[in-house]
Amino acid sequence: MIAALPWLLSSGYWRGILVICAMNVLLALALNLVMGYTGQLNLGQSAFYAIGAYVSTLLVRSLHWNFWVASLAAVVAAGFLGLALAAFAARLRGHYLAIASLGFAVITYQVLVNWESVTEGVRGLYGIAPPVRGTVALFYLVAGIALVVYALMDNLVRSPVGDTLRAIREDEVSAASLGVNGAIWKAFAFGVGAAIAGLAGCFYPGFVGTLVPDAFNIVESFTMLAMVIVGGMGTMIGPVIGAVVLTFLPELLRGFGELRLMIYGVALTLVVLFLPGGIASCFKRRA
Amino acid sequence: MSDLAALVVQQSLNGVYLGCLYVMVALGLTLIYGVLNQINFAHADFVTVGAFTAFFAATRFATKVLGLPDAAGYLLSIIAATGMGAVLGLAINAAVFAPLRERGDELRPLIATIGVSVLLENAQLALFGPIPYQFDSPFARETIRIGRVFFSAQSLLVVLISAASIGALYAFLRFTFLGKALRAVAQDRETAGLMGINQGLLIGLTIVIASALAGMAGALLGPVLVLSPFAGASVIVKAFAIVIIGGFGNMQGTIIAGILVGIIEAFTVQYLGSGLIDLVVFVLLLAMLVVRPTGLIAERKEENV
Repeated sequence: MIAALPWLLSSGYWRGILVICAMNVLLALALNLVMGYTGQLNLGQSAFYAIGAYVSTLLVRSLHWNFWVASLAAVVAAGFLGLALAAFAARLRGHYLAIASLGFAVITYQVLVNWESVTEGVRGLYGIAPPVRGTVALFYLVAGIALVVYALMDNLVRSPVGDTLRAIREDEVSAASLGVNGAIWKAFAFGVGAAIAGLAGCFYPGFVGTLVPDAFNIVESFTMLAMVIVGGMGTMIGPVIGAVVLTFLPELLRGFGELRLMIYGVALTLVVLFLPGGIASCFKRRA
Repeated sequence: MSDLAALVVQQSLNGVYLGCLYVMVALGLTLIYGVLNQINFAHADFVTVGAFTAFFAATRFATKVLGLPDAAGYLLSIIAATGMGAVLGLAINAAVFAPLRERGDELRPLIATIGVSVLLENAQLALFGPIPYQFDSPFARETIRIGRVFFSAQSLLVVLISAASIGALYAFLRFTFLGKALRAVAQDRETAGLMGINQGLLIGLTIVIASALAGMAGALLGPVLVLSPFAGASVIVKAFAIVIIGGFGNMQGTIIAGILVGIIEAFTVQYLGSGLIDLVVFVLLLAMLVVRPTGLIAERKEENV
């Protein structure tokens, strides 16, 4: 079904939206592991997305690495930074963690803007080649990777590791009394979540062709958060639904011109008010 | 006075002025957190709406329609912005915080307020367009000089108004019955409810006060900001940092942290350049979280509002 999508939406514009959608699915899956399954309110995901994009692009550009090797390095870099943030945030909970991770995103953004000798600052990097030729091929590539990530994560959350993460989410003290080392498992979730966001970031610059810090503004973190919540946090299919809905909704509302994002804002608030379990909860009740 | 001493005094004064503006924004966040354990992400947009309200009240209404002099027009616009903030506070309480309060969830109200923020930003974008407005305060034209230190009448006005509002808020919380009830709700909502305190009403009141402060801050910040529909966002990240540095829900901590961040900002501009302000503030925040995660002033529950 996914394979047929580029032929159903055959204009170049909609095919572009499909690529963005696939990247958003990856980002939402990543955040869901940290927030939905482990219960850690992380607003720093845009930083890992940015690190994936910048590290992979700069390695290809300045050191002429192969794209795949550079991407692997970028994913590892994002993952290690995730571990670092987790080590740092081990003592923080709830809103403190939210603001600290938000601070991490702000710092990353400011470094990208100010470190001009490497990142070119707000001027940005131009003429970035995509890893594969054509939008359709890029969509198959990113969607394929998203599918693999989905399958792996689905296995992970159904394994004993998933039970451990959920135990930390529900009650960290009780989990600790059963011999679960909360700090290590939270760091694990942060690291994996960061690495997946970094992976999504590797494909962004090639798709757009340019790379500017504004693409990784902290607002991006809120967008990912909205996808997870609207879709249904702590379920596997929820973030996928959320990413698809919130990618296509603003596009479908384009006819409303300036009202478009206002409707988006209202829709987000209404879903939270009237569908606390997200869109995924509607299906669950029926099944 | 030596050059260096004059410079240090000058930048400290600039810092206190900036700090007062930040405190006005951060206090609202901390008040809401104190009684409700919730973060209002739309707070930034209340500041922006306040700034726009003041802009139109001062430049279109007070001076053109009422024919008031510029200075009186600006003072009137501050009152208008405060009122507008209070109205927004009523609205967000009725739409988001009151219905979600009973479910005891820290995440969903936060997301709902992000939705409100997106709505307000884009409503303002549709109304006012993306091009920034120039909001000149008549008080910014007057400069006061003491020795080799200069400051504008505007900065004096800002410091006076924020000191007065913070003082009034403090007196309200300390000495009135309603203030005492509010502190009781902040301390233990359930027990306060059992004592016959209408917690819904008091939480609503807190949100209205917090939002009115945000509106007022908007009117005072208007002449400093690049007045566009996204203006509040530049202030709110700093306000979040201040709230954490001061300790979530802790009023004294927030005031001290706000002034501190203002002074740090003034000296960062002087010695490192204005591009690095956010970087310096947030590195300080992260360092603070490592050293003292409870904020500058150790948490004492009864002092939380």
